[in-house]
Amino acid sequence: MTKNILAVVFLAVAFASCSNDDDSTPTDPVQTETVSNLYAPQTGGQGQPEGGEFAKFDFETGAVTTSDTDWDIAFRGTTIAVNGGTVTGTEDEPERNGDAGVAIVTGTLASVTTADGLTFNQDTDASFAIPTGSDNGWYNYAGDPTHLITPIPGKVFVFRTTAGNYAKVEILSYYEDAPAEPDAFTDATPYYTFNYVYNPNEGDTSLE
Amino acid sequence: MRFRLPNLLVLIGTNYIVAQSQVPSTTDSVLSQQLDEVIVTATRTERQLSSLPLPVTLVGKKQIIKSGTVRLNEILNEQTGIITVTDESGFQGVQIQGIASDYILILIDGVPLVGRSAGNFDLSRLTVGNIKQIEVVKGPSSSLYGSEALGGVINIITEKPKTEDLSGNASYRIGSFTQQDMNLDLKQGFEKFRYGFFANRFSSEGYDLNEDVEGQTVNPFTNYTLNGRLYYDFNDKLSLFTSGRFYDQVQDAGFSLDSIQYEGDTKEREWNAHARLDHKWTPNLTMAYELYYTNYVATELLADPISTDVLSDSDFDQKLFRPEVRGSYTFANENDSKIGFQNGTLTAGAGLQIDNLDRTYFDETVNFTSQYLYAQYDFDPIEKLNVIAGARFDNHSEYNNQFSPKLALRYQLNNNLSIKGSVGYGFKAPDFRQLYFDFTNSAVGYTVLGYNVALDKLQELEAQDQILDVIVTEDELSKPLEAESSIGYNLGFNLKHGKGTTEVNFFRNDFKNLIDTQIIARKTNGQNVFSYMNFDEIYTTGFEINSSYKLTDQLNISAGYQLLYAFDKEKKQDVKDDQVFVRDAESGQSVALSQSDYFGLVNRSRHNANFKVYYDIPSASTNVNMRVLYRSKYAQYDTNGNGLIDSFDTSFIDGFVTINTAVSKIFYSDFTLQVGANNLLDYTDNNIPTMPGIQAFIKLNYQF
Repeated sequence: MTKNILAVVFLAVAFASCSNDDDSTPTDPVQTETVSNLYAPQTGGQGQPEGGEFAKFDFETGAVTTSDTDWDIAFRGTTIAVNGGTVTGTEDEPERNGDAGVAIVTGTLASVTTADGLTFNQDTDASFAIPTGSDNGWYNYAGDPTHLITPIPGKVFVFRTTAGNYAKVEILSYYEDAPAEPDAFTDATPYYTFNYVYNPNEGDTSLE
Repeated sequence: MRFRLPNLLVLIGTNYIVAQSQVPSTTDSVLSQQLDEVIVTATRTERQLSSLPLPVTLVGKKQIIKSGTVRLNEILNEQTGIITVTDESGFQGVQIQGIASDYILILIDGVPLVGRSAGNFDLSRLTVGNIKQIEVVKGPSSSLYGSEALGGVINIITEKPKTEDLSGNASYRIGSFTQQDMNLDLKQGFEKFRYGFFANRFSSEGYDLNEDVEGQTVNPFTNYTLNGRLYYDFNDKLSLFTSGRFYDQVQDAGFSLDSIQYEGDTKEREWNAHARLDHKWTPNLTMAYELYYTNYVATELLADPISTDVLSDSDFDQKLFRPEVRGSYTFANENDSKIGFQNGTLTAGAGLQIDNLDRTYFDETVNFTSQYLYAQYDFDPIEKLNVIAGARFDNHSEYNNQFSPKLALRYQLNNNLSIKGSVGYGFKAPDFRQLYFDFTNSAVGYTVLGYNVALDKLQELEAQDQILDVIVTEDELSKPLEAESSIGYNLGFNLKHGKGTTEVNFFRNDFKNLIDTQIIARKTNGQNVFSYMNFDEIYTTGFEINSSYKLTDQLNISAGYQLLYAFDKEKKQDVKDDQVFVRDAESGQSVALSQSDYFGLVNRSRHNANFKVYYDIPSASTNVNMRVLYRSKYAQYDTNGNGLIDSFDTSFIDGFVTINTAVSKIFYSDFTLQVGANNLLDYTDNNIPTMPGIQAFIKLNYQF
């Protein structure tokens, strides 16, 4: 499944945040990455029970993983799980054994500069931290006539990872190869393309 | 009549009530601007059109006949600032000063018509065959008419027979799409008794704008209108008016779902019974006692013709009963000076309204009752200044009492120039659907609940384990839904210049407590439960200008223009605060929407214009006319998920021009032959289901 992931470094931020100038420990640079075509199929839906393995993602490696423990977020269809809290009760979902969480912030990816002061939510019984359904969480479903699933512009997801790091994510597309003008009838889903910024320094809340 | 829009299926029933808006002011474009034009809608008393302090559009019978239009929507759509719009529910309504059909009251001889589809009143339900004139008062008029009169009032006036001779006309018209219109109108007076009888049959084969989609855009239909009116003058002081009206339409219906072609029909039937006793106690005191009853029924049945499975079986049955008493007292005597506060005219009325609706998706028949009182004082405090001050109080069984004041002034600066201004309050009661709806879309799975039943229904759904979580508090669903309201301001002037007149009106309407759907809970199937809430605040503002010139006795030209800005206040602020985003086309990343890219509310065009020429050739008993209408681009719905219309949305319909023309010639003095074409440029768009291509027609009329 890793072959589906094409991690491209498209902006290397050379300097880490200056928030701890007095600290003599050198900090690693914050990384900006793009993940393309993360494939997250689901079975059922449309009134049938949903099922299928989630595609798990680890910010530390920037890759999809099959590990049961070293993952931060997981995708299946339009549903996104975090590795924190409890199982929601849907079929085939991974056990939550981390303390990851998510805060949904309104803004552009660049405008969200810190994880300080945010409240991180976790999955709970019957409810995902990133709410499911159109206009509730990350996407809008247009219905007739286009039937497009479009990531809501201006939604930034700030994650506390399983390892205690921070990352921010902007989802760009749900369609294969992220076409600028997708066609719900011809473009394949669910292929997530998203930008993220990951701070490799544990506990450091800076995201720029 | 119902049209199929591409996005009809998903939103049937939820109908986002997005308010709309448009422009302002007055006059029978191009046609006769005689001094004796009298209208009754603005004050409930007879007033000369030119003396009114309010923006009014008057469409007379001559204009209707010369233009060759047959339904009310067609002729109104040719007036400046009045636009017919098909919203996302697929139903058509009228927009005035950028204000949507939901907020415009439709009257016939002063009494309200009921029967709206998703808030839209379909004006094509009304034939123009027996209309004396159409009076449109723009701006809030709740001070006289109560609920729904926020954007304005459209009043259709029928004609009282004038002579003892039998007069009338019979006509037949046929046009493209086998559109046939037949009219019979009879009028006669005797000593004390007069009657009017009118019958109309209108039918069409319909048309198809998009051959890729199964079924026609507009299905074949046939409708009938019958109207009988009796007038009896007991003496000089007491006269009786009664009117009975009947409308019936059957339209084929078809719907393709999962490759099954469902068939059936849609039926509409309407009754109106209206009786009024006019009593002239003294030359200064007149009173009217009025009884009115109407019933509107719409049904739709769709079934699979092979398996006979029923896809949809819906019905809608609304009744309204309204007795009213009103009177008018003029303090000044005939020979007295009319100037001064003490010499005005007081008009006052009181009434009761009982509204009743039984429909699919309601648990039971629901009733509204309201009582109301209104008063208005019309006076000239000093020479050249006219003031009308009025207010109405509505006490309603389902929502808070409403007090609706209005003040209007007109000042005659000189013989050629007058200034007029008005400010008024308008409201619309939450409608039955917003309070009692209980609808679950069987295909997609979302649920829409009326506000008054939301709490109970939510508990039922919870008991059935269908609810994941509830997003609003019980408190939020417990306090009563407020009436939607607006304050409207109009300021303008009338100028006579040589052979022409020009009228300008600036308007602004501020709406609050607009009712919109909101997610109240999430369902376990991933869909949402919606209910109705007061939250939107919008405004519409702009101006309207109308000029008409009588170049010669034979040649009249006129031009009209409306500029309109219609925005959601909160969203405008969000855009300003960089809280609304769009995706950059190149990188796909979110960027804040710039203020200049917020386009405004759906279905609003910034510019509307018209140009009309009417030319009489007396020597040949011929009239030729052409009306050119322009509407600038507008958007139908949000396509990029940010909840508003911005320049990056792809649902825009580009600006377009339509030209309508008609030529009529009278021969053998009793016959008129008319030939014409609507939409001469053959403009069509799949997304404008109400507009077929070019429609040619020929009509023969016998008048006697």
